[in-house]
Amino acid sequence: MLLSLAIPLLAGVTLIQTVVLTRVSLWGARPELLLLVVLMWSVVRGVDEGVLWAFLGGLMMELFSGGPLGAITLALVVASFLSGRVLRVDLGSPVAGVMLSTLLAVSGYHLVLLLALAWTGYPVNWLDALFRVAWPSVLLNAILAPFVYRPMHWLERRTRRERFTL
Amino acid sequence: MRESPSRSWLPLVLSVLSLLLIVSSEAGLLSPFESVFHYLFDPLQRFLAGFVAGLGNMFSTVRDVRELRARVEELQRQVDALEAENIQLREIKAEVETLRAQLNFVDEFPVLAYLGADVVDRAACTTYPCGEVIGFEPNPYLRYVTINVGARQGVKVGMPVVSGGPRLVGRVAEVFQRTARVQLITDRESAVAAFLQNARTTGLVVGQPDGSLLIQYIPQDQPISVGDIVLTSGLGGTLPKGLIIGQVAEVLQMDYASSQAAILRPALDFSRLEQVLVITAYEQMPSEGELPAGPSGGGQ
Repeated sequence: MLLSLAIPLLAGVTLIQTVVLTRVSLWGARPELLLLVVLMWSVVRGVDEGVLWAFLGGLMMELFSGGPLGAITLALVVASFLSGRVLRVDLGSPVAGVMLSTLLAVSGYHLVLLLALAWTGYPVNWLDALFRVAWPSVLLNAILAPFVYRPMHWLERRTRRERFTL
Repeated sequence: MRESPSRSWLPLVLSVLSLLLIVSSEAGLLSPFESVFHYLFDPLQRFLAGFVAGLGNMFSTVRDVRELRARVEELQRQVDALEAENIQLREIKAEVETLRAQLNFVDEFPVLAYLGADVVDRAACTTYPCGEVIGFEPNPYLRYVTINVGARQGVKVGMPVVSGGPRLVGRVAEVFQRTARVQLITDRESAVAAFLQNARTTGLVVGQPDGSLLIQYIPQDQPISVGDIVLTSGLGGTLPKGLIIGQVAEVLQMDYASSQAAILRPALDFSRLEQVLVITAYEQMPSEGELPAGPSGGGQ
């Protein structure tokens, strides 16, 4: 997808995430819209564009974060790679497959984020972080994934490039 | 039709670039780029925050009318009670000032005694920069907010930030031209020197992953009760004395430990934070001073 379309889209999603969605709390977790957009794009378009979106979106998100610059980007890239390449699960139903792969990819996202924070000297209480923050987030975002999958699937069809070889 | 081959090196390259970003950021090499980006991007964030707030206000107006009527009645009752208490407190304040003058207390221990009154309402904005929260931390393990006042308004790193009167929000962690990033007291890396108002004993308040607060290193022989108010002690000079942190919600006492701790309920709902005030100047407590005793005590 053209960068001229991807960058404004990712910027808009980042703003919505930092201004609106970070105030939302459902069962102790919040919707991670940028993460879901990146994961679903990796699923529908492939891991190459998915990790590129993850890198660009991560950079935008970093500049609104007080944490070590690069941590969110690294976590998004890893999660996008897992979602697009390693964890594509075919359960007969695309919705169930999307939910399961999102569940595993979001777990990877939180694990990488915690490792990056610990590596840069941030005090991490692993039990608290995994059970009070990561686990609720994994469940919530796995449930929300199908709602993001459909519009991303539509966008992918609208922007698909046909390539021919002789 | 054949699909283009996947570039298997791309995820690895981007991951390495991300790691390099972390290392460069920790070394402080990326600060100029962050400043430029914030200069360009912050107006957009402020606009969106204002738009969202306006939209929210529009939809909530009709629903809130009945709730507001009941709230007004309740507040009127509270105002009546507070007015009576205020009269008594003015008398006590006059007595304290007289005693301080007699003991030469102000010259020996400069204390921002009137901070609480100064930050009660918007009138304080003529003295200190007032701002609005325009963004929240995207990292789920950190607790920061972005406010729409920055270096142009005289904000500097380390300055205390309060809201809703003298209720402590946190400290300024990063400053840009028009915005600043505030580390909330609920962040795991935040540590605030505090004291329990009733027991007059000191402790250290740290943030917890779920957004609550923990006060620790309280001596075992000091009584702590649920409902005790916890204030900043001013010790160390990084925060003014007397800012409200929260209230004891649960006491954690272990017989084998050398000190006790307590879980606090923060004085503010940080998810609904909107208006803040940055304290740009205050008198510092002496680094080795003791907390003054209660009204029945006296200084030397």
